[in-house]
Amino acid sequence: MRAREAGLTSCHTCGLLVRLPASGHCYCPRCDSDLHMRKPNSLNKTWALLIAAMAMYLPANLFPVMTVTSLGSSQSDTIMSGVIYLLLHGDWPLALIVFVASVLVPLLKMIALVYLLLSVQRRSPLRKQQRIRLYRLVELVGRWSMVDIFVVALLAALVNVGALATIEPGTGAIAFTAVVILTIFSAMSFDSRLIWDNQGEPNGGTA
Amino acid sequence: MAEPHKPTSLDYIPEAVVEKENRGFPVVWLLPLVAILVGGWLIYKTMSEKGPQIEISFKTAAGIEQGKTKIKYRDVMVGTVDTVRFSKDISKIIVTATMETGTESALTENTRFWVVRPRIGAGGITGLGTLVSGAYIEMEPSQSGEKQREFTGLEFPPVVTSDVAGTTYRLRSEKLGSLSVGAPVYFRQFDVGEITEYNLSDDHDYVNVSIFVQSPHDRFIRTGTRFWNVGGVSLTMDASGIELQMESLISLMSGGVAFDTPPTLAKTPIAEEDTLFKLYDNKAQTLQQAITETITYVAKFKTVRGLNIDAPVEFRGIRIGSVKAIEMGIDPAQKDVLVPVVIFDLEPERWAGYKEAETSEIVEEALEESLADPRERIEKLVRKGLRARLGSGNLVTGQLFIDLDFIPDAEPATIIQGSMHPEFPTAPNPLEGILAGIDNILDKLEKAELNETVENLNALLNSTNSLMVDLDKRVPILAKQVQATLEGTRDTLESLQSLTSTDGEIGNELYNALAEVTAAARSIRVMSEYLERHPEALLLGKDHKP
Repeated sequence: MRAREAGLTSCHTCGLLVRLPASGHCYCPRCDSDLHMRKPNSLNKTWALLIAAMAMYLPANLFPVMTVTSLGSSQSDTIMSGVIYLLLHGDWPLALIVFVASVLVPLLKMIALVYLLLSVQRRSPLRKQQRIRLYRLVELVGRWSMVDIFVVALLAALVNVGALATIEPGTGAIAFTAVVILTIFSAMSFDSRLIWDNQGEPNGGTA
Repeated sequence: MAEPHKPTSLDYIPEAVVEKENRGFPVVWLLPLVAILVGGWLIYKTMSEKGPQIEISFKTAAGIEQGKTKIKYRDVMVGTVDTVRFSKDISKIIVTATMETGTESALTENTRFWVVRPRIGAGGITGLGTLVSGAYIEMEPSQSGEKQREFTGLEFPPVVTSDVAGTTYRLRSEKLGSLSVGAPVYFRQFDVGEITEYNLSDDHDYVNVSIFVQSPHDRFIRTGTRFWNVGGVSLTMDASGIELQMESLISLMSGGVAFDTPPTLAKTPIAEEDTLFKLYDNKAQTLQQAITETITYVAKFKTVRGLNIDAPVEFRGIRIGSVKAIEMGIDPAQKDVLVPVVIFDLEPERWAGYKEAETSEIVEEALEESLADPRERIEKLVRKGLRARLGSGNLVTGQLFIDLDFIPDAEPATIIQGSMHPEFPTAPNPLEGILAGIDNILDKLEKAELNETVENLNALLNSTNSLMVDLDKRVPILAKQVQATLEGTRDTLESLQSLTSTDGEIGNELYNALAEVTAAARSIRVMSEYLERHPEALLLGKDHKP
């Protein structure tokens, strides 16, 4: 038996178990926050944010993230050109970190979300526990991609020595920020409980 | 006390507050729409902002970095270098660059590119900023000409950029002197231009120098303007003393060119662009030499000791040319004998000179004629007796010059048209004339009279000789005869002695006779003395007392 079948849900905020009526917008009687059996429009929101993130992924990787102007000569680097630069200079561990954190993670996150959304929509009964772990991983890892943005923001603020050296964030940085934030929101708006909703259905296997 | 969370007793769970469901427009879908629009717009903007791609070829890629080096015009970035690679035959470096949008119209066949690096040149040090910022490519845009995407980069920055108004001229010099690109051009010691280029002429006979004179100073350059080299220091020493001349410190280091128009030529037309001028070595040369036309002659002399190249050719003390070369040549009179051949130039413009205030038409015509065809003019003069001879310019150093003058009683001669240059008839110089006279005398002595005398003497000696031989043959006979004669003479003398001695008969008588004569003489003397004292005795007789 699941809470949903019993018409019960717990408040997101204070954890109070509440009985929900069949229809209507409900509020928690204890803390007055919104109550849903499932997050409303979860799939729609997730899809929308995910597609937005994907749309920003392209400029994030094509445009320079950072422009370093040093003694009159300026150099703009995209994420990949930075990785290649590090690799060419033999700094392959650092190159690997940057590549994983800034290129691979957002990409994999998006792929994972797409997979989760599709599997929920198709009411797939398979590997439900792996999927919930994948979702938790996506939620956990997502924020770490912001490191890049913080580095650029800090450098831009710190290194501003006029003609000697200036660092300016590029268009790519903004797009990249958008990608990270949108995927975080996308992951947040995904209701992981949807994975289990087909439990007990004819074609839905057991957990 | 009731247990609030008893799983079996669900009656404790409170009912949620129900609100009517509100299913509006899924606003969340605006987000991906906006994201796609923004992303698409960004990409479109970048793509559309990408200007034309150009290729510039350079000899060297020093300082040019892929993706970094900028192309600038007046310090504004107009492009970025994308790649640097070799040309197919690896003789050149080809730089591919992306220009900014809006530069299309400035990329024509007249657009120039060069790399700005730190340079120490004539006009100072340039491009110091690139020491720290790295080299960049400077563009000089041009909107005239056909559109072009492939360019050849200049190795050196152009001295004159197209936005400076002015005119270029060409100078021709026999040597470069100390000129360098960027060296100044002076007009009354005022910097009015620069040397833009120099190279050897195709036949390597001259150095071609291109100069650029800024507007409005270029209107002072007329066809009669004289250019001279002011590089370095000129030290002249002459009768008036020592003179040290230096145009400016810059010209001392990097050379320079100055120009001026002689007053006599100030009315000549303004020179066109790219007019060719002669570059003189110094100002003095431009003053004495306003020569563009020369006629070359050769003259053959007996000896040219003391004659130097560049020695003047004078006509009655006025310089009308100079000696160009002294070589050996064949004497036409004696085919296999070499004689010194002097090649000299006559400069007909030198005798244009002075005009009377009111020249008669005849004089004017004659002058024009002489200028129109100076060769013919000279030929006429030669027929009238104009000859080349060596004159002594300096008695101390023995420097000679070629003196053209009319020789009154010269043998008739004409200019001989040789294979190379026409030959000018020569005359001995005055000193040479004296020597020739002495020579002549010696010649005559040697050839005519002395010979005869010697012959006569010879004949005399010959006859004397035969006489002697003859004598020699007769001597023994003669000797005998002489001996006999002498013996006879001695006998005669001996007999004469015996006759004349006092012991002898004759001697005695002679003695007596002489004594008589002596007595007679004495008495005559006594008588003459007495007569002297008593002349009356002749009439009155002795012992008569008056």
